Amino acid sequence: MILTKVLASYTFRFMSLYVAALSIAGLLVSIAMYAMYTNNFFYTTNDSFNTEMQAFEAAYSDDGVVGVRDYIEKTTHLQRFERYFYLVVDEEHNKIAGNKAAWTSFKQYGDDWLSFQLDLVRGDRNTANQQFWGQSRTLDNGNILLVARDYGDVIYTMTLVTYVVLRSMAITIALGIIGGAVLAALSVYRVDKINQSVSAIMTSGDLSQRIDRSNHQGDFRELTTNLNNMLGRIEMLMQGMREVSNNIAHDLRTPLTRLRNNLAKLQDLPGGERDTIAQELTEEADNILSTFNALLRIARVESGNQRAGFKEIDIKVILLDVIELYEPLMAAKSIALYQKLDRGLVVNGDRHLLFQAFANLIDNAIKYTPEGGEVTVALDVDGSRGKVSIADTGIGIADTEKPKVFRRFFRVEASRSLQRGNGLGLSLVAAVVSLHKGGINLADASPGLCVNVDLPGFA
Amino acid sequence: MRILLIEDDDSVADFIVEGLQQNGYEVSRASDGEQGLTLAREHAFDAMIVDRMLPLLDGLSAIEALRDEKNTTPVLILSALGEVEDRVEGLKAGGDDYLVKPFALVELLARVEALLRRQSTGTTQTMLKTADLEMDLLTHKVTRAGVRFNLQPREYKLLEYLMKHAGQVVTRTMLLENVWEYHFDPQTNVIDVHISRLRQKIDRDFDRPLLSTVRGAGYMLHDPEQL
Repeated sequence: MILTKVLASYTFRFMSLYVAALSIAGLLVSIAMYAMYTNNFFYTTNDSFNTEMQAFEAAYSDDGVVGVRDYIEKTTHLQRFERYFYLVVDEEHNKIAGNKAAWTSFKQYGDDWLSFQLDLVRGDRNTANQQFWGQSRTLDNGNILLVARDYGDVIYTMTLVTYVVLRSMAITIALGIIGGAVLAALSVYRVDKINQSVSAIMTSGDLSQRIDRSNHQGDFRELTTNLNNMLGRIEMLMQGMREVSNNIAHDLRTPLTRLRNNLAKLQDLPGGERDTIAQELTEEADNILSTFNALLRIARVESGNQRAGFKEIDIKVILLDVIELYEPLMAAKSIALYQKLDRGLVVNGDRHLLFQAFANLIDNAIKYTPEGGEVTVALDVDGSRGKVSIADTGIGIADTEKPKVFRRFFRVEASRSLQRGNGLGLSLVAAVVSLHKGGINLADASPGLCVNVDLPGFA
Repeated sequence: MRILLIEDDDSVADFIVEGLQQNGYEVSRASDGEQGLTLAREHAFDAMIVDRMLPLLDGLSAIEALRDEKNTTPVLILSALGEVEDRVEGLKAGGDDYLVKPFALVELLARVEALLRRQSTGTTQTMLKTADLEMDLLTHKVTRAGVRFNLQPREYKLLEYLMKHAGQVVTRTMLLENVWEYHFDPQTNVIDVHISRLRQKIDRDFDRPLLSTVRGAGYMLHDPEQL
């Protein structure tokens, strides 16, 4: 089981491929070196043969058999190994002089190159059937000169080199495969652990579980952290969805039930009353529709695909328009309005949505501020970021409630009876702000509430 | 006035046809895009009401096809898609106005009337007049019975729109879209306060009120003696 996983794992396949590539590269380098070495050896040998042959011929021509003996003595004395063999034969291949026993049959390779086999006693190595090669030269008097050299040492070196290269390559391949398997096994083990945790969470459906990241380091730790963050986000979304469905059940089913009951009642009513009830029913239906519309709008804003229509717009212009729209409403309620608008802040955004967001905030501020109160709208621009604050002197929101107000359908208990509303206004504001990559927080204006909206300016 | 309605939903179509007929319009209905396109090519209509999502050929393609053929009949697009991008798309395709479903019949009637009016007033006016209320579009001077008012810029724009559509119902959404130029959903009836302010200026000192509220629909500026 684990073996098949290891063999199938990416790490193992990668390592195997890597080792194979490395071996092929090594082999190619060896072949190239062999070719170069052989070539070089051939030229050197050719040179030394020529030199030997010339010296040998000179010695024979000058002093005959004696010269040959002297020359052989001199060269064998000089050389540690008896590398060269010399022979002079007559036309019938009878030995005249030299340190090689007799003329042997040989293969002729064109020019004067030839090769033959010969038993050889050298040092402690008694080697039979040594490969020899040599050069022959036929003199004017018919005598033949032969200079030969065994190339056992060359073969020996070549065998040794080949042996070492092959051996080390085999070791490399073996080590590579073992190392790859070990590495693969390690990663398979770690991936397996993560897989098990993930599938356990999937099957149990308990999204509050997290993947243990204590025994992971580096990229695996990062991976598990990201997976855990993702689980957290999914958990939050699931929670939000549950909450929304609960709230829909409550906030939409209630008015729909009321609508249905009143419709049933309508049939039994006399004409005059029927009209007023019908009017109420239409209003009720309109409210339900506007709640649905608000929900859909929030969903669309949250899905984030509206950024396509973004343009450069000045927040200050939007704030001034919102203030201008709501100013008569404040005047009617004797609410004093203070504007502290800094220089403009150009953002990349949707003017209609931003207008809606600030209108919702100012609308809330007016709703919850008693007559004779104050509403302050401020825009502070710092570098490329801007902060819009809308403060009122109303009832404020308790600290424990503050994090909840952005949830869909959430309404501060005290306000349920006080003001009409669908509990979606601030959800939409939060969605719009986050669509514009901004942040929103609630602070105490003591007394009252201060809503701060941070927005990044157009870069 | 002949109106072509292209709408595939029978109950919505019946609702619109009935409402338009009650208000004196002659209505032809097509239930898919291709049938609608054929009807629009064969007959001359004063206005068209086109749903966006239609079988066979969608509303926007039908409008684009007609505009390519130099057909300039004003078009009101009906759609369940109400975001700004959808509106822009609709207007780009050649629609003249955009109404999001669900809508109130009065809203539809007001917009159809505005479309027909837009068509008839081709010449540029320099003077608007409703009863004894006068607005000079060049000097921005507004007077009633010779008395001059000082209006805030937005009040001027609001009055201008109302006067251009005098005798017609103008809904709150139409005012938000055309006077404030924002597509948004006010949680409170902020427009009412602006209207009552305007009313304070133009109607308070006079016997005949010109600006009236139409219950459940919007507002209307009209000369009461002409009714």
